[in-house]
Amino acid sequence: MAFFERASPALKHILLQLYRDDKPFAVDHHLHEFGSLQYHIQSYASEPHHAYLSVSTPLLSTGSSILCELPSSTMETVTRICPEVVEIVDPPRTGYQLTLKLSFAKIPRKKDAAKIITEIASVHTVILSSQLRELLENVNDQEITQGTYKPIKLVYHQREPFYVVKQPEKLTAVFPIRIKEDSDVVIAKAFFQELVDVGSSGRFAKAPACYWSAIPPAELRGESMQDLSTNGGFVSFEIMARHVEGKKLEKTVWNLLNFNALVKYHVKCTKGFVQRRMRSRFG
Amino acid sequence: MWASDGSSGAPIPSNWIPPIHVSGFDSCILVGRAEDCSGNIAILRSLVRIRQLFLNVKLKGENPLLSQLDPLSSTPFLFVLSMASSLRLYLTCIRNTLEAAMCLQNFPCQEVERHNKPEVEMKTSPELLLNPVVICRNEAEKCLIETSINSLRISLKVKQADELENILTKKFLRFLSMRAEAFQVLRRKPVQGYDISFLITNYHCEEMQKHKLIDFIVQFMEDIDKEISELKLSMNTRGRLVATEFLKQFI
Repeated sequence: MAFFERASPALKHILLQLYRDDKPFAVDHHLHEFGSLQYHIQSYASEPHHAYLSVSTPLLSTGSSILCELPSSTMETVTRICPEVVEIVDPPRTGYQLTLKLSFAKIPRKKDAAKIITEIASVHTVILSSQLRELLENVNDQEITQGTYKPIKLVYHQREPFYVVKQPEKLTAVFPIRIKEDSDVVIAKAFFQELVDVGSSGRFAKAPACYWSAIPPAELRGESMQDLSTNGGFVSFEIMARHVEGKKLEKTVWNLLNFNALVKYHVKCTKGFVQRRMRSRFG
Repeated sequence: MWASDGSSGAPIPSNWIPPIHVSGFDSCILVGRAEDCSGNIAILRSLVRIRQLFLNVKLKGENPLLSQLDPLSSTPFLFVLSMASSLRLYLTCIRNTLEAAMCLQNFPCQEVERHNKPEVEMKTSPELLLNPVVICRNEAEKCLIETSINSLRISLKVKQADELENILTKKFLRFLSMRAEAFQVLRRKPVQGYDISFLITNYHCEEMQKHKLIDFIVQFMEDIDKEISELKLSMNTRGRLVATEFLKQFI
């Protein structure tokens, strides 16, 4: 798996089970994903066709301000997931930023049901994407001022901020790579080398140009030394207007948000692969 | 194999062409003239044979310079600095040294009564130790053979061309060291400055056949390089696949 599914597999499984089970039963599940993302799923025997889904997630924010509540634009995007089935509960449950009331009775008993539930299970993606999407949607604006080139620091995980630099006709996303173990850094660097090689091949001419450098790229000049000190270098992607057209927008946003997680996942899997290979050779 | 790279102090011939690396081959090919061989017929014959082999197998058509060469003419010809032959020489040298050194006998400790320990480890009596031998293939690859009256210690430094090979070698050798009991002669901790060490005592020589032990060491050295190269290759292939799948998402 070279990318992460947008829908949470565990959440999707529980919701599908609730939807398909004819006999009403009470459910109270807490799920933790990606370290700090929490889901709480509740259903009561007294309300057979309803379930409550509460979500708590660290929000994407610029370096200077840390958001605690969901912005109104994000709430609007969430309501658009499936307006007949999903209803936002105000105020949300204590400890969560968003609570949704799901009406299973309104989901059509056809093939579409699985599709709708998958969309509900991707609520986390919707929340995260909405902010970065706003940035990317404005990629075609030809407004070039002094301030436009200043990198915007985005923080999703506190230890893994990344930068988006708006330039004429393109956005550059720069990921400073910090990895704990030295051996992991070597594996990650080998992966970046492959990423740059593959990206520069003719087959992927339409993909965003990808660069890796050990030193901070010129776009990040002026940022604090603390933010620019890395052990894995800097990976940059150049996002052009064609990468954010229509449905591609959501994919692009999701891939960028999960790039750091993908690198870590790849490193972990590669270590496992090496270990498995050695074991099989030894056996 | 004879070769000249101009580093020996001899003047570089005017027709010298720098080495060509051909992907897929573990060799370095140099193009020169027959005069450079100082008329040594044996070298000339073997070089012409190697050239014909290369031209017949795979190189023809891949490299414009090589395809221009006429296989029937005596000059120019190819000098092949074969890594394989260099490895063979290195391994043969180790094999010969091991054969000479592996004449171990039971010998109790001279200092402590009822102690019978490998003298190469204890080093209690200098008269029971022979001079250690270091066999180097290059700076990165060497082998230390320490011999005593009742034991022999072989320490290897494995080639690590880059950071990736370095961590793969460390991982692989640590994996083997942790399973040292399965090898009987493998030392759990390598000698300082080396990647892996073996300890062969007189008991091993009594229980096992001497030539088989030497074969095992030599085979191990051959396999370790191959295994690490394969691991590196498959890791890079895996990374390339992941990179391809990731970039596909944007198209």
